[in-house]
Amino acid sequence: MTLFSYISEFLRPSWIKSFFTVKTPPLVSPPYFRDFPTLTGKECTHCLNCKMICPSPGAIDVIQTAGVWNPRIIQGHCVRCGYCVEACPEGVLTSGDLLARKKEQGLLFTHEYSIKIDTGKCMGCGNCTTACPVNREIDPQIGAGGTSFSDQVLIRVEHGKNTVLHNELCKGCKTCMETCPNGAIHVIRKVTAVQEAK
Amino acid sequence: MTVLQKLKNAVRKRSIHVCYVNTGSCNGCDIEILACLAPKYDIEQYGIYVHNNPREADVILVTGGMSTQWLDKLPDLWDRVPEPKAVVTIGNCPISGCVFNRPGKLIDPPVSKYIPVTAAVPGCPPRPSEIISAILGAADILFKDYEIHQKEKKGGSHK
Amino acid sequence: MKKVVDVSLPIGPIHPCFKEPCRIKCETSGERVLTTEVELGYVKKGIEKIMIGRPWQETIFLAERVCGICSVVHNTVIVEALEEISGITVSRRAKILRIILNELDRIQSHLLANYSYCYTIEHETLAMYLLNLRETAMDSIEMMTGTRVMSAYIVPGGVREDLSDENAAKILEATYTLETELKRYVKMFETGPMIALRSKGIGVLSAEDALASGVVGPTARANGLPRDAREADPLYHELGWHMILRTESDNFARIMLRFQELFQSVNIIRNGLAALEPGKIRNGGEMKAGRVKHTVEAPRGDLTYDIEIDSAGQVVFVSIQTPSIPNIEVASHAMMKNLASVADVTSTFISADPCIACAER
Repeated sequence: MTLFSYISEFLRPSWIKSFFTVKTPPLVSPPYFRDFPTLTGKECTHCLNCKMICPSPGAIDVIQTAGVWNPRIIQGHCVRCGYCVEACPEGVLTSGDLLARKKEQGLLFTHEYSIKIDTGKCMGCGNCTTACPVNREIDPQIGAGGTSFSDQVLIRVEHGKNTVLHNELCKGCKTCMETCPNGAIHVIRKVTAVQEAK
Repeated sequence: MTVLQKLKNAVRKRSIHVCYVNTGSCNGCDIEILACLAPKYDIEQYGIYVHNNPREADVILVTGGMSTQWLDKLPDLWDRVPEPKAVVTIGNCPISGCVFNRPGKLIDPPVSKYIPVTAAVPGCPPRPSEIISAILGAADILFKDYEIHQKEKKGGSHK
Repeated sequence: MKKVVDVSLPIGPIHPCFKEPCRIKCETSGERVLTTEVELGYVKKGIEKIMIGRPWQETIFLAERVCGICSVVHNTVIVEALEEISGITVSRRAKILRIILNELDRIQSHLLANYSYCYTIEHETLAMYLLNLRETAMDSIEMMTGTRVMSAYIVPGGVREDLSDENAAKILEATYTLETELKRYVKMFETGPMIALRSKGIGVLSAEDALASGVVGPTARANGLPRDAREADPLYHELGWHMILRTESDNFARIMLRFQELFQSVNIIRNGLAALEPGKIRNGGEMKAGRVKHTVEAPRGDLTYDIEIDSAGQVVFVSIQTPSIPNIEVASHAMMKNLASVADVTSTFISADPCIACAER
């Protein structure tokens, strides 16, 4: 590299222009930046979809203040992925232009629950069956051992064996997981990313 | 307040030497601190210099959620920093452990358990603009009247 | 020859040249470096252990946070592995969008690697130029995904968001800026006499060492070894990918190879934007049980996920093999052996583009 090349480097019109008109951009985020989600003011139905899909532990809570449910984002835990914005069916949360893009492109997360029982660990005590709030609504007479005469219930003990009858009824409350003494039952949330036809 | 103290306040506000310490982060916050150095954001125009040497630093930027190796080394490093000094944590990990704070982890957040933290910038990772505005916001009060506060502290301990 | 060690010199863990903590122990005789050893373990988080028992919507975030510099490729490889297990098909538009984002990520990663090298050999002007140019790529990523780092853009069955036509035009404009600016910087790097003094013929990796070790990525390609996982992808061939090789196998070759790959990435992005056809971007799809080993070319080399999931989509077993592991090993045992000066230790180490967070996870 010769002296000439140094001089020609600094005599470029674009260099001279940028030297005299240098300006630092203001310290703001662009409008499409996915910032911490904020409330849009729409009514929250307390469906907890946002909380269920959140990948970060303890990042979102749905709390009741003055009789109104509203999600609250906890800074320091939230990773700003925007999944809650996309998962909310009501459009309560917004972040950057994600909500607008979701509406425009028909982006959606669907989910379903499935109950997995580890047969090696399950001893058929029926704790989960009696604790399940869906079961209690369908069959209030459910037996203490988890047996039931109704075949409409979500889960029941048949011949000493815990059997899932209607997976689709599960609401994903995970009460069964909390009552199981052996950690044999798992509620799995299957999420699918789909696009609705325009 | 003496004239000397006023001068010290003014100088310290505009000359902050920074060292960043990665205590088990994923690099995301570190490269966002590096991006602050880029001429586009140009952190040096505000008088903030990234040296990466704890012995000449005023502010330690901690990223990451305290991996096992750092448990004894970070307090040790904190002792080497000359007074006046402060800690600013960058990102979620030093505050909460971010997504790593689950069963099976090898990190031990928060960082404030080990060294005194003055300010924290949340985000995973925070944008360079957020980092710069956070440091600038803290710079005014970080080392203000440091000598006076030290004297008050000493006086308090004698009683 | 009898080995006489004068000083055992530790470099790190906090060092102005390193982005991440790691310690290099050098055994020196005078100014000459006899052997070096890299000591890791400062950023171990246990990500593979945390992943077990988690569904995809949580594992992709953990996979992204293996490495902050190449987060997109970690996201890509875990999602593609899950798709391979479950037999989920992806539309052509989503595939091309993935490639565009991956190449943008490669551009910013290579620019950061070359910035680090220039900074380490104390050519701060060029380093700052490159870091500023990197912001152009970062802005394009932010426009496309909404975030600069950790975009979570790729989901099973497609991508998160579509790319609008005006944003595509902006990215195309950014590629032209990248190319014109890069040409100047590459000329500066190629013809700079001081850069040549610090780079040419330093940190030479011999052909035997390269073959014996599992060196991957740009470090292997600068040695003339054709190792690139993109070769197996027909879509990459369609978008104008071809293998770039250099044979000098020193620091200069590794940095120049990254510069050459930057031009290729710019070209691939342009071809990808031209090949975009309207269509769906998400197909959905159910998870099925199975185990697969999937490899994708990361900016630093071959990235392999060995992953097993159960019928509900939860991870049963996962093992991540990142490209930095062989590259760090080969840097410490073959490249930094018998260096003429201690000052070349850090620059040789950085020229292999080591990512400590990747290597330890």
